[in-house]
Amino acid sequence: MSNPTLPQRNTRIDGLALKNLVEAALTWLRTNQQTVNSLNVFPVPDGDTGTNMVLTMQSAWNEIKDLGHRHIGQMAAAVSQGALMGARGNSGVILSQIWRGVAKALHNVEVLDGPAFVRALAEARDTAYKGVVRPVEGTILTVIKDVAAAAEEALKETDDPLQILERIVPAADASVQRTPELLPVLKQAGVVDSGGKGLFFILEGMLRYAKGLPLDTPLVTVQPLSALKLQETMEVIEEGQDFEVVVDFYPSQPLDLQAFYSRLEQIGTSIQVGEGDGMYRMHIHVPLEKRYEPIDYIMGLGTITKVAMENLLAQMGGSGATAERLELANVQPGQIAVVTVSPGRGLSRIFASLGVAAIVEGGQTMNPSTQEILAAFENLPTDKIIILPNNKNIILAANQAREVTVKQVVVVPSRTIPQGLAAMLVHDPDGDLETVAERMNKAMEKVRSGEITVATRSVELDGVKVEKDQVIALLDGKLVLSAATLEEALLGLLEKAQAENYELITLFYGADLSHSEANRLVDRVRERYPQQEVELQEGGQPHYAFLISIE
Amino acid sequence: MSKETTSLGRIFISPRAIATIAHHATLQSYGVVGLAPRGLAEELSTALTHQPARGVYVRYQDEKLEIELHIIVEYGTRIASVAQSVANTVRYHVEKALGLPVDAIHVHIAGLRITNGE
Repeated sequence: MSNPTLPQRNTRIDGLALKNLVEAALTWLRTNQQTVNSLNVFPVPDGDTGTNMVLTMQSAWNEIKDLGHRHIGQMAAAVSQGALMGARGNSGVILSQIWRGVAKALHNVEVLDGPAFVRALAEARDTAYKGVVRPVEGTILTVIKDVAAAAEEALKETDDPLQILERIVPAADASVQRTPELLPVLKQAGVVDSGGKGLFFILEGMLRYAKGLPLDTPLVTVQPLSALKLQETMEVIEEGQDFEVVVDFYPSQPLDLQAFYSRLEQIGTSIQVGEGDGMYRMHIHVPLEKRYEPIDYIMGLGTITKVAMENLLAQMGGSGATAERLELANVQPGQIAVVTVSPGRGLSRIFASLGVAAIVEGGQTMNPSTQEILAAFENLPTDKIIILPNNKNIILAANQAREVTVKQVVVVPSRTIPQGLAAMLVHDPDGDLETVAERMNKAMEKVRSGEITVATRSVELDGVKVEKDQVIALLDGKLVLSAATLEEALLGLLEKAQAENYELITLFYGADLSHSEANRLVDRVRERYPQQEVELQEGGQPHYAFLISIE
Repeated sequence: MSKETTSLGRIFISPRAIATIAHHATLQSYGVVGLAPRGLAEELSTALTHQPARGVYVRYQDEKLEIELHIIVEYGTRIASVAQSVANTVRYHVEKALGLPVDAIHVHIAGLRITNGE
């Protein structure tokens, strides 16, 4: 980063320049948001540090984006105000205090010079420390303290604010790297402090802007091995990238990350690199024909200790080229993201096609935890979340997830898959959260849900007598009949639901049922209900032969 | 008194012990500059008894553990965020130490501290 040079000395840093710097800081922080998020140690449901800091900076930016103050003190006051109003989570609150200190020090300053900049950072440090009785070192507080000290040091040699900025960024980096020495929990987890890292990105973003470097591509990063999340339940596969290759190796020479990444980028996607005790782990998704290339390449760099290769398509339960790939909705900040629980791959695909942003695997026999639901949406780049639990046993966990997050969450209490699908049909990502949720609730009421499964024990319930291993049918969650065969149960259920009064019957067949068998049964339904449109879809859910939506 | 049954017998944890953990966690939370007792009588009694955790009240009733915190917040912070952080931090530390769920944490903002003439 030392090649690009700073602009001419004595660049005028006034209110408008600060505005640009704040925007640059926000952009760079957002670009590196996931890196900061991955450093979370505490399972404190405070949301992720990176996300919280981005939202705080976003609020600061919203406050100033239409302002044209040339007076830097006035602009800084507005930044501080915006950061304060939008402060989210612990790190966000501290960040707002840092801005408050800056604004305080620049109150009567019109154009920033070196001494004023140093005063601003010192005041930022003091204000930040005042906000807590027992400051914990090894956090963002330590980083602002070290930054302020480095700025004072730099002032001895230069009074150009940008030159000072150029010196405090490496100081911030060094301070972040030292945080594990000060805070044992960080060391145990093998990470650096996330809030401190966020502050570093804010300062670095400003410096990159001053140097004219791009702000939208993340820097190549090495994560601690423990933070490398390679196991994702429903990994999204990119088109053509069918193989996952993971290589552990010890480089024979210090690794040139930039060159390493750019070579890997020519081979595949989803590149992640982790490091721990000198060992590196590389993760990449590559097309079939390139599956040996990363290994050959790394072989030349050092000693390979382990190679793992997996066919992602086979892993997803698909077969060769016909396997579907999940394409989840790509939500933008400010939009509404829907998180849903799906029991099977076919249903996940249908949900994805309807615009769901995240899917949690689960259902009747495998209820996801609050944590899993939380994890599904905490990293989404938006604040507005709707959860569709699609099962009455999961509504509780969904509600708990809502309580422990700082995001705005509405749980639309869908009790069945058909209800969830009906709700998704009226989803509008750009709508108002409450209004959309209200519409979903209404849409859910219009659909009837049928389920067909096999009884696991003998029981008499809702006036229906069931023998173990009999086929049973549930309508809107209530047991309505038991039968000897699937066909009998299916037709019986539709009769109970008075399907003749509805327009569309959709059957989602389960994992235990073959396509031809499902087709045969659907034909029987079509014969019985010639007036209705009858559709068959692959649901892929376990245990339930059919999930039926009648609308 | 919170209790847990083990194979050897029962473990009792006094509200005061829990209050100490909560007190410590509260003071480590960013934005909190102090704790305040609920009233004058309370203030006198905490002063006389040297209670370690003034401003922290722990109730354990019907198997439910509730913690009440009376905090003083630094002026100029976003109070809602600070309160939420405090509740999260206290819950995390108490649950980690106790292994028992905390049913509720009530945060009262007893006052704000204004520093250098703002």
